[in-house]
Amino acid sequence: MNKTLLGYVPKESPIYEVHPFVKLFFLLVVSLFPLFVAAPEWNFGLLIFLLLLMFLCRIDMRTLRIYVPVAISMGSIILLSYTVLGGRHAEFQVVASVFGFPIYWERLRDALVVYFRILPMIATMVFFLSTSRERDVIVAMRSIKMPFVVTYVFAMALRSAGMVLEDFHIVRQAEQARGFDTTGKSLAYKIRKYVMYMIPLFALSLRRAEEFTNALVARGYSFTGKAARIKRADYILSHYSYKLHDYILILLIAFAFGLLLYLSLGLGFFDLNKSAFIRWLHQVLS
Amino acid sequence: MEPIIEITNYSWKYPETEKPALDMVNLQINKGEFIGIIGPNGAGKTTLALSMNGLIPGQYHGIKQGEVKVLGREVEEYSKGELQMHVGMVFSDPEAQFTAMTVEDELVFGLENLGLTRAEIKERLDWVVQLTDLQRLLNKPPYEISGGQKQRVALAAVLAMMPEVMVLDEPTSMLDPLSRKRIYEVLRQLRETQRHTIIMIEHSLENLIPLTDRMILLSDGKVVMNDETRKFFQAPDLLDKGVYPSEVIQYFHALKGQGLYESEIPITLDEAVEVQENLLALLKVSNNMRGTSS
Amino acid sequence: MNAATPFIKVLNLSYAYPDGTLALSDINLEIYDGEFVALIGQNGSGKTTLSKCLNGLLKPTRGDVLVEGLNSKTTPIVQMVNRVGYVFQNPDHQLFNNNCWDEIAYGPRNILLPEEEVAVRVREAAAVVGLAEEYFESHPFFLSKGLRQRVAIASILALRPKVIIVDEPTTGQDSKQSYEIMDFLTLLNKERGHTIIIITHDMPIVARYARRVIAMADGKILADGITAEIFKQLSILEKASLEPPQITRFAQRLHQHGFDPGTLTVEQAVDQFRQICQKFIHDG
Repeated sequence: MNKTLLGYVPKESPIYEVHPFVKLFFLLVVSLFPLFVAAPEWNFGLLIFLLLLMFLCRIDMRTLRIYVPVAISMGSIILLSYTVLGGRHAEFQVVASVFGFPIYWERLRDALVVYFRILPMIATMVFFLSTSRERDVIVAMRSIKMPFVVTYVFAMALRSAGMVLEDFHIVRQAEQARGFDTTGKSLAYKIRKYVMYMIPLFALSLRRAEEFTNALVARGYSFTGKAARIKRADYILSHYSYKLHDYILILLIAFAFGLLLYLSLGLGFFDLNKSAFIRWLHQVLS
Repeated sequence: MEPIIEITNYSWKYPETEKPALDMVNLQINKGEFIGIIGPNGAGKTTLALSMNGLIPGQYHGIKQGEVKVLGREVEEYSKGELQMHVGMVFSDPEAQFTAMTVEDELVFGLENLGLTRAEIKERLDWVVQLTDLQRLLNKPPYEISGGQKQRVALAAVLAMMPEVMVLDEPTSMLDPLSRKRIYEVLRQLRETQRHTIIMIEHSLENLIPLTDRMILLSDGKVVMNDETRKFFQAPDLLDKGVYPSEVIQYFHALKGQGLYESEIPITLDEAVEVQENLLALLKVSNNMRGTSS
Repeated sequence: MNAATPFIKVLNLSYAYPDGTLALSDINLEIYDGEFVALIGQNGSGKTTLSKCLNGLLKPTRGDVLVEGLNSKTTPIVQMVNRVGYVFQNPDHQLFNNNCWDEIAYGPRNILLPEEEVAVRVREAAAVVGLAEEYFESHPFFLSKGLRQRVAIASILALRPKVIIVDEPTTGQDSKQSYEIMDFLTLLNKERGHTIIIITHDMPIVARYARRVIAMADGKILADGITAEIFKQLSILEKASLEPPQITRFAQRLHQHGFDPGTLTVEQAVDQFRQICQKFIHDG
C-alpha cells in the first residue's frame, strides 16, 4: 500500500484504469443512494457491496480497521441521541426501559435507519480516498471544469497539510528532546499540552507562507487581474483519456441511480413499511 | 548594447527598520553574463534578487528610491505577471517552493500561466526534464522526493518558462553535497549555451567561481566590490571586506602575504595545483643553481 | 581526557521505519567524554536517525543504546535528555513559549527541578550563549534568526547534558556565522567539558573543528577515526558521496611534492609549504 495524504492506496489496482472523473462521479452519485432508501437491509447491502468493491480493487482491508472505532462511536452517539436523550413522547410505543429512560420503538427504528444510511455514505468516501492519489482528486475536479483557483487552492491545501504534518513530527521530537513526555499522563493533560504544538507550527507556516507566495508569483501566477484570466491548457488532463469502459461505467452508475429513483419514489420499494428487517425487529421487541 | 539589467542609485527600505536594506546601489548586468553575488547574511542580497524580478515592490511594502530597469523598462512599469516571464527566480528553501502535488504539475504550472498550448508545454517539458534528469520523478508527490530533488524541480520549473534572466538565491544552501553538484551540473550546461543571463547568490564559493564572469560583494546594503572574477580575487584585503574565498585562494593570498609568492592568484583547484607545481619546480631550480654557484 | 568507559555505547543497533525499510543496520559505536565528533554522510545515510537513537528520541528496532549505563529502550525520556541534548536544525521547530525565560526554563521544569534551581540554570545558560537579560521578557517569535538560535541552544544547555548533538550547525549560515557557532561549540567542548557531536556535510568545518569523524552511507558506518586519517581514505569518502575540503584535495594532489594528504586547513598547508622551501634550501 502507498501512503497518501488522504489515506492508503494500493500499489496496483484495476481501478487505476478508470478515469478519475468516473471515481468522482461514483462518489457523488452513489453517496446519494442511501437518501432514497429507508429500509436498513438495503443500505446494509450497499455497504457490503462497497466493501466487496474495495476488496476487488486490492485495497488492503486492514487499513479499514481505523474506521471501525469511528463507526462504533458514531453508532453509539446516534443511538443515544435518538433513544435515551430523545425526550418523552406519549404517542410512541415503549419497548424497553433503561435507567428510567423509556426506549421508544419509533425512535429506535429511526436511529437504525439513520445509522445504516450513514454507513454506506462513509464507505463511498473511504472507497474514493483509498483509490485516488491526490493528483486523481485534482484531475477529477478539473475534468468537471471547476474554476482553476478552486482546484489549485485545494491542491495547495493538501500540500500545506503535508508540510504541516512533517513539521508536526519534528516539533514533537523537539519537545521530547527537552523532556516533554506524555506517557502515562491523562488525556486532558495531553490535549492541554498539544496546544503548545500549535505555536511552532503556526510560526513555521507564517514564515513559509511568504516564500510560498513568492514562489507562485515568481512563476507568473496572479490571483487577480488580466493574468488570472488566461485560458489554461490543463496539461495534466492530457494524460487521462476517456476509454470505452469509462463511458460504460458512467452510464451504469447513472442508470442505477435512475432505477433507484424509480423504485424508491415511484414504487416506494425501499419504504419502511415494506422493510422485512424492520417488521421482524418490531415483532421481536414487542 | 544596453545592459539587460540596469540598477541606478537604488535604495530600498523595509517598513519599521532603521537602515535601508539596499543603499544607493549602482549595477549593470549585460546579456549572457554569469554573475555571482556574495556577502554576509543580512547584506541585502535577497532584497536585491527580489528587486530584479519585480517581487519588490510588487509583493512587499517599503520605500523605493532610484531605478531598477530590466530589459530597458522600469520594473514597476510591467503589468502583473509580465516581468516574471522574463526573470525567473529560484529560492533557497526547496520545501516552500514546491506548491503542487506532483512533480509534473509543478513543472507545468508556470507554463500554464504563460498561456501555452498543450503541445508547446509538452515540448518544453521534455526539454527541461531531459536537462535536469527528472524523468523518473514526474509522477511523484512532494513527500516522496528529497530536498535536493525538489530543488532540481524548482530549477527546471523556472527554466521551462525560458526567461531571459535567471536569479538564484542560495539554491544549494539547504542541500547535501551530492545534490549540490547536480544543480551546478545543470548550471554549467546552461552557461555553455550562453542563452541565459544568470545571477547567483551563494556562500560556498568553490563551485561558483569557475562559472562566473563577474563577482559582486554586497555588504550592509552597499555594493563594496564589483569586478571580473579573476580580478576580484586578486584583491589582498578580501577577508577584511567579509569575503571568505575558497581555500586555495586563501592559501595563495597567505603565501603572498608572507612574501613567498608574487604572481597572479589562481582561482580554481586545477589552476592552483598547476601554479604550485610550477612554483616548486622554480624554487628547486633556483636553489640548485644557488647550490652550484656557491 | 577519555574515560575508561564510554559515555554512550551502541551495540548492534538496527532501526527500521514503520513500513519496514532499514534506516540503520548493525551499528556499533562508542562515544567518550570530551570528544568532538562529526557525523558525516549524505541525506538518507542514516546520520540523523542514528543521532536520534543516541538520546532516546528513537528506540532501536534491534540492539541497544546505553547512555551512562542506562538503556534507551527502558529509560524514560526525562532521564535521557539531561544526559544527551539534541539541538534541532531549525530553532522554529522548538520555540513556543511566550518569553525567552520560560523557553529556557522549559527543559529544567520538565525534569521537575525546584524553581530556584531552574532560575540558576536559565541565567547560566543565557550567559553561556551570550543572551542579554533584556531579552528574557521578549517573545521568541519576534527575535532575529541568530537570537532564536541562541535561545534554542540555551534551552538545551539548561538541562546540562554531558553530550550535545547539534543537527547541521552551519547550514544556511554565512561563513562568519558558521565560524562563530563552531567556535562557540569548541568553547563548550574545551572549557565546559561537553562532548559535542555535530551532524553535517560541511567538510571544511569538519576539517577545522572535529577531532573524530564518523562517515555513514546506506545506514552503515563506513569509517570511524581521526579526521585527518578519514580524509585520506578517498574511496570511502566516495562511497559516502563526499569529498574532502578543497585544501585537502589540493595537498593530496601535491602529495609527491611533500604535502601531507591529511592536511586539514589553509594554515597547515602554508606551514607545509614553508617546510618544503626550507628543505630545498637545506638540500641545495
